[in-house]
This record gives sequence, structure tokens and C-alpha cells, in this order.
Amino acid sequence: MTVVLDTRDDFTLANFRRVCYGGEAVQLGEQARRALTAPGWSSAAPGEASAASTRAVPAAAAPADSGSAGSGGGYLDEALVRGILFARLAGCVSGHTAVRLAAAERVAALLDGPAPRVPSGGPAGPDDAAVMAAALAEVRRADLGEAERRALAEPAPCPAALAADTALRSRHRLESAQAVCALSIEAFGAPLGAYDAALDDLWGDAHEAAALRALRHHLDGAGTDGRRFHQAPVSYRIIPRVLGQAHRAVAAVEKAAATALRAVTGDVLLAGRILPNGGFHNGMAYPAMNALSGAWADLALVAERQVSALNTAETSGLPLNLAVPAAPMGTYAYGWAASGYVEEARAAAAPALLPAAVCDPLSDVLSPAFSAHRRERRAAECLDGVLAILLIVSSQALFVTGRSPAEPLRPLLSFARSVFLPIDGTGVRDLSADARSLQQALAAATITGRLVPAPRP
Amino acid sequence: MMSGEALFDQCLALLPLQAQATFRTMTVVVNGRDDFTLENYRRVSKGGEPVAIGPRAREAMATARADFIRLLESDRTQFIYGVTSSMGPRAKVTIPPEQQGAHARAFDFRGNWARGFGGGYLDERVVRGIIFARLANFVAGNSKAGPMIAERLAALLDGPLPPVPLDGEVGAGEVLPLSHVLRGLRLDELEEGEANPVGNGSPVSAALAADAALRAAPRLGRAERALALSAAAFGVPADAYAEELGELWGDTDEAAALAALRRHLSGASPGRRQAGQVPASYLILGRVLGQAHRAVAGLTEAARVSLRSVTDNPVYLPPDAAHPLGQALSTGGFHNAMVYPALNALAAVWADLTLLVGRHVTALRAADPAAGPGRELSALAEEARAAAMPTLLPAAVNDPQDDVSSPIFVAYRREATAAECLDNAIALLAGEAGRTLHAAGRRPAPPVRDPLQRARAARKGPDPA
Repeated sequence: MTVVLDTRDDFTLANFRRVCYGGEAVQLGEQARRALTAPGWSSAAPGEASAASTRAVPAAAAPADSGSAGSGGGYLDEALVRGILFARLAGCVSGHTAVRLAAAERVAALLDGPAPRVPSGGPAGPDDAAVMAAALAEVRRADLGEAERRALAEPAPCPAALAADTALRSRHRLESAQAVCALSIEAFGAPLGAYDAALDDLWGDAHEAAALRALRHHLDGAGTDGRRFHQAPVSYRIIPRVLGQAHRAVAAVEKAAATALRAVTGDVLLAGRILPNGGFHNGMAYPAMNALSGAWADLALVAERQVSALNTAETSGLPLNLAVPAAPMGTYAYGWAASGYVEEARAAAAPALLPAAVCDPLSDVLSPAFSAHRRERRAAECLDGVLAILLIVSSQALFVTGRSPAEPLRPLLSFARSVFLPIDGTGVRDLSADARSLQQALAAATITGRLVPAPRP
Repeated sequence: MMSGEALFDQCLALLPLQAQATFRTMTVVVNGRDDFTLENYRRVSKGGEPVAIGPRAREAMATARADFIRLLESDRTQFIYGVTSSMGPRAKVTIPPEQQGAHARAFDFRGNWARGFGGGYLDERVVRGIIFARLANFVAGNSKAGPMIAERLAALLDGPLPPVPLDGEVGAGEVLPLSHVLRGLRLDELEEGEANPVGNGSPVSAALAADAALRAAPRLGRAERALALSAAAFGVPADAYAEELGELWGDTDEAAALAALRRHLSGASPGRRQAGQVPASYLILGRVLGQAHRAVAGLTEAARVSLRSVTDNPVYLPPDAAHPLGQALSTGGFHNAMVYPALNALAAVWADLTLLVGRHVTALRAADPAAGPGRELSALAEEARAAAMPTLLPAAVNDPQDDVSSPIFVAYRREATAAECLDNAIALLAGEAGRTLHAAGRRPAPPVRDPLQRARAARKGPDPA
């Protein structure tokens, strides 16, 4: 399959997924080709073109050496680099920018094969201009004009692709989190009134209502026998509201991605005049990623509290540490491990703000998008770790009490046990490796939407 | 000349809010959840107006109260948090039926509750706002309480209100700050189910969101005017904020920011510089201010939703076909998960704008490095950035039952600190931009002359207009 790009409206999250994760090529459609060959920048006054605003964009000092890893730290994911190239084309197809058909086709051709290697910049992360230079290093530019070269290098595709990558992963991550929390509710035997449909209206928020609906879906048919007669700990009762906040953050990053992917950034030609502007700076993507990091950190903390509640006999009414006689420590130490992930997630939730350092008097504000993306990925990885632990502990709670969860949750439980068998004291197991496999499976599901066991090392 | 009305308002403003109300004739009447709007919040909190419980609300509460008593009488051994059980970490302790009446009458979470202290106090207007928001829980009958409790709550707004310390108010739900706010509430003659709703729910989050939202929109307007003035002083070409960019960028908040900049720059002396001479901090104004529009809208929406939410625990649901006596459900409504992230986002925006203001001052001074602000702007930016560190769910655990706390007070204070930094930075930028315009013998656009004159008056600088 090939994704045909005719207008800005073709730069959707769905097409981003096809190109970046599906590896599909792109083709410029007839409408785009007409726009890219229409008279435009070539007729603009040279003085105007040279006055374009890209002076304010930090230029890479030299074409990045795509054969080295810069200051260390490896390379950006290939999917992300493909996303940046895809997003580059969005600003071109309408014909507003200085990029013409030949250059656009050269960018599109980069998506026919393996993506260029782009250094990830080590601990400081890459800067947008250097990433653009590396991503486009193989594009022949000798025959291009100055304005066209600058338009190609304009860095707004970076935050667009980072936001899109984050958005696509976060929707499935949230779905997994909801399912795991529902399994935890079953494992604890929390009263179901805290997820009642009446709360949709009483709380009055669409995102919290979505979270409540998801929990009710997973708990459909759950029995009332054997549940706590009294209310569950706070961490169980507030989970719809905490998940609602995650819904809100995911929706915001999806909106930021959808907007940025189809935006025309950089200098534009309109009605014969060139408009220099600040389009190169995306003010929406990094705050949305910051908010998502915060939501993941908070969700991780609430999940960790549920792990503690399940392990604590006085709270849960379940066997201490969910242990069986042959394995008396049960799942106790996973509570400690969960604390470690929570602390890391909280550290990653420190927001990426506009960088305080000044590059030069013209490029006096830089983009924090890569920093925000890196932190979101770290917070998400830590959340996956806590969710894996909550899945293990919930499975164990059901195991030691011989219970089954509600019907919709049984495939999740089967999946969990296909990776991590209940701790029954038989045989010798590497519980760390098993838990790691579960975390990796949760991470892989953020792309595929399917929970399947990760390959063992 | 000051108009009579303006003079009256200024004199009135010297009085405490509750005293102001006695000179006003308006009363906010609440009949249902839809009356808990931002505008009514403003009237009660900042405007000092009293609140009356309307007839529809009284009827709804009386009906629901009778329904709830029927539910309770049907089985006094069923679990109803705080009614047939003890509270907090003792939730699993059952109250015998014959002691449930005494249990309700003995309730007083104010005197016997350890609570926070120090760190200054909430403004009186916010305390009024909390009491207003508290009533949303009652008016539709979901609190289980009869009309008397709501009327007593509303009556608190007619008298002086207690101070509410800002430190140490972090716990599960919002009972700690509410124990301060409601110190004057009469709790005699309480019956089963009427005590708990006084201190449960999340009205504090609703009020703090509303307070911050009402202050945020004017602050953003001031920032836009000052930054537009700066753009005029620097000589940024007007095309940098052209209307067409709104469609090309495709975001309504950025389009709104661009429109505001164009409005403020309308009629200004034409820009003197070519685009290649303009720093990024000027070109990206539309996009950074767009993010500020988005954050203000996010907080405003959080306030709108929260003000009318029913957040009590347990919440009473009226009878329906499946539950002919209604239900009392234990929920997590007392935890507002929407407001503190919205305040976090706003604090971050204020920090980014403070940094941007500093860049503008640097750019203005580069062309004319006469005496002017500089170092203090760096300090303001750093303070604002520190305040923008997000408030997350507190890591500390109080007890295994109340195992997650609300961080709302911390988020509110950090946003206020970041906002204060921005306010100071804006004043400095307006003065610097005015000085630059004056030195060049140029005039700002008419819409930004007034704030410029105010900044000049504050700094005793020359008036370019």
C-alpha cells in the first residue's frame, strides 16, 4: 500500500501510523503536484525571500554526520524519523511554502526505503535543526534556491512527529491501563458503586464519563458476592477520575498532533506576498506531552497504591502478600519495585519549558519538544512497569483465592498468566525477567493495540 | 472626573466583602446545579453578594431527604459510609442502629480535627467561593441532607468568615480546608446522613479553579497588550501576525492570539525592520500566546465542570425502577483530578511567557542599552520556572484506607506565584517598550496606550502618548 498525499487533510494520525509504523511509502497526488508546480515563490522578489524569518530559526552548523551518534546516545527511532519526513511534506502540498515539486518528491522518496539515521543527541537530546539536517542529509539540494533550502530545513515537522508518535502510543496505553485497573478492582473485591453510571452526569465531565464507561465495560457481569461490605480505599474509588485526567491528556496530545501534522509552517507565500512568521515554533505539542507525563506519573502512583492495598491483608482481607505456603513472601517485594517506578515517573513529569539558555540574539527561543518527548516516554515506560506489577499482583490475588474475574477481563488474565504464572512456589523462576516481559508486552501493545507476550531474550 | 457609580464602587471596595453585600441589593438564588456558574461564583466571591436557596432546591432536598430516610429505615445494617459506619480509616467499623442518631449529632469535624496551619491565608473572596461551591452538592438532593443544612451554609456568607491557612491542607479529599472554612457552621440538630456531606466532596478545588480562572483571562489580556507594545517598539512587521496564519496553523487558540495582537497593533507606527532582523521571541508570539489561551480555556472548563459537580461521598441517588428506595453509593467524587493539572498547565504557560518577556527586554535593550530592567527579569523568569514544577499526587501515605491525597492547595499557590512573576515582568516590559518608543519619537497603537500610561505612572517614566 501507498499513502497518496494530495492536500493537508491527508496528513492524519491514521496516515501517520501507516507510514511510520506500517512502513508504507507515500506518493504525491495530482492535486499536490499541481500546487507544487504553480507559479509561486519563483515570482517573489528576491529581497523578500532573503528577508524570510528563518534567521530566527537556529540552523545546524553543518550537515549532521549521519554516520555517528553525535555526542552519544544512539539514534532516533526509525518510525520517528519517517514521521518527521512525512510531516515535512504537510507544509508543502498546498504550495504555500518555497518547496517545489522536485524537492518534495525527493523527500517523499526517502520514505521508500530505510529511514536515514538521525543521532539522538545523547543526554541533552537533539535540537530540532540538527535533526532536520540529518533527516534530509540525503536530499540533493545543489539545484535548489536559498529559500527552498531553508524551507526544507524549517524544523516544525519535529514537534509534529513527536506529538503524533506520543498520541498513537498513548491511546492504547490508556486502554491497557483501564483494563488492568479493572482487573485490580476485581482482585480487591472493591464495591462497584464507585463506577456507577449515575456518576457520568453527577461529575459532569466527558473524560471522566469515558473512564467510567470503560471500567463498567470491563466489569460487565461482575458479581456482587464476596466484595467488601465497606468502601474500598481511596485509590480504588478515585480511579475513574484519575483515568479521566489521563483521557483528557491523551485527547489533548491527539489534538496537538492532528493540528500540527496538517499545519503549514515556516514562511508562506500568500497573494503574492511572503509572510515571515513564527510557525517554526510549535507551542502546543510540548505542553501536551508535559501534561501526559504528569498524568502517567499520577496514574502510576495510584496503581502503586492498589498494589500496596492488595498486598496488605488488613486492607484487602486477602492473604498477607498474597502468599501461598510454598512461597511465603508472595508478591511483597513487587510493592517496593513499584515505588521505584513511581519515583522515576514523577521525576520524568518535570515539565519541559522554553529553554532558558539563549542560542544567539536572533534565535533567542529554542524548542523543548524533544525534551518533552523523551520525558513522556520515560514516564510511560515507568507506568508500564507499575501496570505490569499491578497485573501480576491482581492475578496472584485471584489465584490464591480461587476466583475468576468478570467475563470481559478473562482474556487479559489469560494473557498475564501466559507471561507470568502465579507464584505457587514450584520450580525456580526468574521473576524479574518474567515481569520485564510483561512490561515489554504492555509497551508493545501501545503500537499494536494487542497484548501478546514479548519474545523472551 | 470619576462617575458616581465608580466612586461608590471604590468606596465599597474598602469594606470587607461581607459588609459590601449589605450595600448591594442583589442576591444569587440557587435552585439547581445549573445555577453554579462562573458568573454566579464571581458575584458571590468577589462581588460579596449573598446566596438564597430557591424553592425548587428546597423541595428537591426535602424530597430526597425523605427518600433517603426510607432507604435507611429499610435496613439500618446496610453499609452507608458515615451513617451506618464510622469514617475515614475506621470506615469498616459499624455503627449499631440505635447509636446512629447520636453518631450524627456528635459529628463535629471542626474543633476536634487536627489541621493545617501557617503559610498565610486564603483571600476572603476564595473562602466565600468555597461556601458557594459547597452548595452545589446539596441543591439537587444528592447530599442526603434536608434544606436546613444548605440554608445554614448559605447564611455563613452573611457574616465574617474564618481565616484558612495555606500550609498543611493536603489530605484525602478536602476535609482539612473545609474544617477551617466551616468553623462557624451550626451543627446542632443534625440527623443521620446530614453530617458527612458538610465536609466531604471537592468544593475547594472547584472554588480555587474558579478563582484562578477569573483572574487568568484579564492577566492574559494584559500580557497580550504588553507584548504587542513591545512588538511595536521593536518594529516587528505586522505580517508576522497576519490573519491568514490562523488558518495555516489550524488552531483556534493561536488564531485568537494572532487576532488579539493585530487588534493591539492596529494603528501603530509601521514596523521598521525586515523579518530577518526579528528575533524568534517576537515571531513566535502568536503560538506561545495561543498556548496561553488554551491553558486559560482549560482551567475555565475545569472550573465550569467542577462548580456544578456533585462530589459527595456517599452520594445519594434518587429512586428508580431498579432501586425503588434509591441508593447511597461510596465514590471517589471528593478527589478532583481535573483542577490541579489545569493549574499546572497555566503555571507553565505563565513561566514561558515570563521568559519570553525577558527576551523582549533583552532585544529592546540591545538596540539602545540605556538603563533599564534586566537582571530582575532573569530572577522573575527563574522564580516562575520553579513555580511551574508540576504538582502531582502527593507521595506520602497517611493510612491504608485514605491512601491518596489531593494536591489542590499546592497547585493553586504555585500558579499564583508564577502569575505574580509574570505580572511583574509585564510591568517591566511595558516600561521598557514605552521608553524605546519615546526615544524613537514613535507612538504605540491606540489600544495599548492606556496600559502604557499606567506602567509609566508606576515607574514615573516619560509618557510617549
